Amino acid sequence: MLRFVQILSYGLLSGALYGLVALGLSLVFGVMNYLIVAHGGLIMLAAYTTFWAFFYTRIDPFLFILVVTPLFFIIGWILFKILFQSLMKFPEGEKIKNSLLISFGLLLIFSNLAILFWTADERAVTTIYSGKVLSVFGVRLPYIGLGGVAIAIIVIIALHLFLTRTYFGKAIRAVSLDHEAATLMGINVNKVCLVAFSIGFALAGIPGVITSLHAFNPAISFELTNKALVVLILAGVGSIKGVLIGGFFLGAIEAAGVYLVGTPYREVFGLILFILILMFRPQGLAGKRA
Amino acid sequence: MKHLLLIVGLVIGLVLLPMVVTKAYILNLIILICLYTTLSHSWNILGGYTGQISLGHSTFFGIGALIFRYLWTLGTPSYLALCGASISSLLLASVIGFPAFKLRGHYFAIGTLALSMIASVTVQNILPGVSFSPPQFLSKYSLIPIYYMALTAALVTLAVVSALTRSKLGLAFVSIREEEDAPEAIGINTFKYKVISMTLSTLIAGLGGGLFSFYVASYYYYVPFELGWSFDPVLISFIGGAGTVAGPVLGSIVFVVLKELFAISLGQMNVLIFGIVFIFTILFLPKGLIGIIGMVQGMKKSRDRLAKNV
Repeated sequence: MLRFVQILSYGLLSGALYGLVALGLSLVFGVMNYLIVAHGGLIMLAAYTTFWAFFYTRIDPFLFILVVTPLFFIIGWILFKILFQSLMKFPEGEKIKNSLLISFGLLLIFSNLAILFWTADERAVTTIYSGKVLSVFGVRLPYIGLGGVAIAIIVIIALHLFLTRTYFGKAIRAVSLDHEAATLMGINVNKVCLVAFSIGFALAGIPGVITSLHAFNPAISFELTNKALVVLILAGVGSIKGVLIGGFFLGAIEAAGVYLVGTPYREVFGLILFILILMFRPQGLAGKRA
Repeated sequence: MKHLLLIVGLVIGLVLLPMVVTKAYILNLIILICLYTTLSHSWNILGGYTGQISLGHSTFFGIGALIFRYLWTLGTPSYLALCGASISSLLLASVIGFPAFKLRGHYFAIGTLALSMIASVTVQNILPGVSFSPPQFLSKYSLIPIYYMALTAALVTLAVVSALTRSKLGLAFVSIREEEDAPEAIGINTFKYKVISMTLSTLIAGLGGGLFSFYVASYYYYVPFELGWSFDPVLISFIGGAGTVAGPVLGSIVFVVLKELFAISLGQMNVLIFGIVFIFTILFLPKGLIGIIGMVQGMKKSRDRLAKNV
């Protein structure tokens, strides 16, 4: 029983990270129907950024969220201007297909650049509290994982408040519902999309910092993209609140897989669940039928 | 007619080539080009003509390689084993591939990506070892039989695809690519045609896998299941020109040559460059490199017409 609770708690801790990983992807997909599969690659780059920043400065890695997030906001801004703006005029299906293909190319470029610059070795940021655990009734909870959960909850609540309580957030939601109607209401759709896209990229910075505290390598970008897609589908497309629940759910499913079959098949369980949901409930577990 | 003569000449040239050229390097290059042509055409039937972008072709490629190696080590003649590989790939598709058509559009792409990840993880865990060619083959290893098998596979594939482009079937595929709801509305059973497209595609992917297994003497079992085998045909087809016969061939040539050029000096650099070229083709050359040739011809024609008018 204790073993099960232990595995489940690890699953839930990584589930919070999965939620964060999917957040940016979900926002961008919800607002402008761009499926940015390069998201995992961005998170991997953010992890490397944190790694090297920590290597040279030795400041607490969690503080780098404040640096990495604006940096990726700018990267998102630039990439939107260069690559993705021209897709705005396409109909929905073409938009998804083209953004999928372009960002797929980006994903390959990012992961190969990382191998070229930093080799395929595994790395991790090691802080004084790495490996330290909090023991609750014999269940060991690593501090880093708990920090990740706290950050995930804060970020998702903050994003939710931004989207519902601020004027610009409301504009973003309006655009996500209907581009034309939003234009008629006097919203500058191009600008809103640009900012939402950049926020999506900025949101890759936060899970990047947390990823850097675990072992990571360039190949992790595919794995992360995949997790993000699974959570996106679990949560229902464009649902921000659902993302955290979807992440926890995926973590729990993977934990069940580890408990029942073994660690090597951890990912397989999530993926099988993913395909089943795609086939039978493409609107997501929480989403409503369109 | 001129085209036909050119193609026949090229084929005869390629068949006679090993008698003239004995350099293993050249033969290796042609084998690789044939391998990638087969694989990317397999993707092209489903992705280029029918518009169902699959990111899971490594599953079918890998199962072809696996079954080929198994049959071959049992003592089956290589050409029969190749057919077996091809059919096994179709069998796998009928179990897991056809249900995937419940997924539409981009869901199909990410669903098949998940499929290839499942296959890759599972094979890595179940078969962690290295697979070897049969010892009696290795003892008198020669590139010539591999060369002819690669050539046969590529030519058969090209024949199938070019027959497809001239048939009603090909038209049905293209109509699904252009707009899935419209053909359904005029009474075309899109599901049936998607299944046919998948059947052809996986048969050829299995062929490619068998070829890989015939060519590479020893490899880890999971290697043909690696995601690269799903991604490369997508890049090759789009860069060459998706939905054309010559596009993937051109793409494969560019791909293999780039790979050779950079393999010695820069290692991973070829994928990087290919990724950049890929993004530019998607953005600026929706018809791929073949499209450039078409554009040049079109310009020439219009210039001729202008000259005549003057």
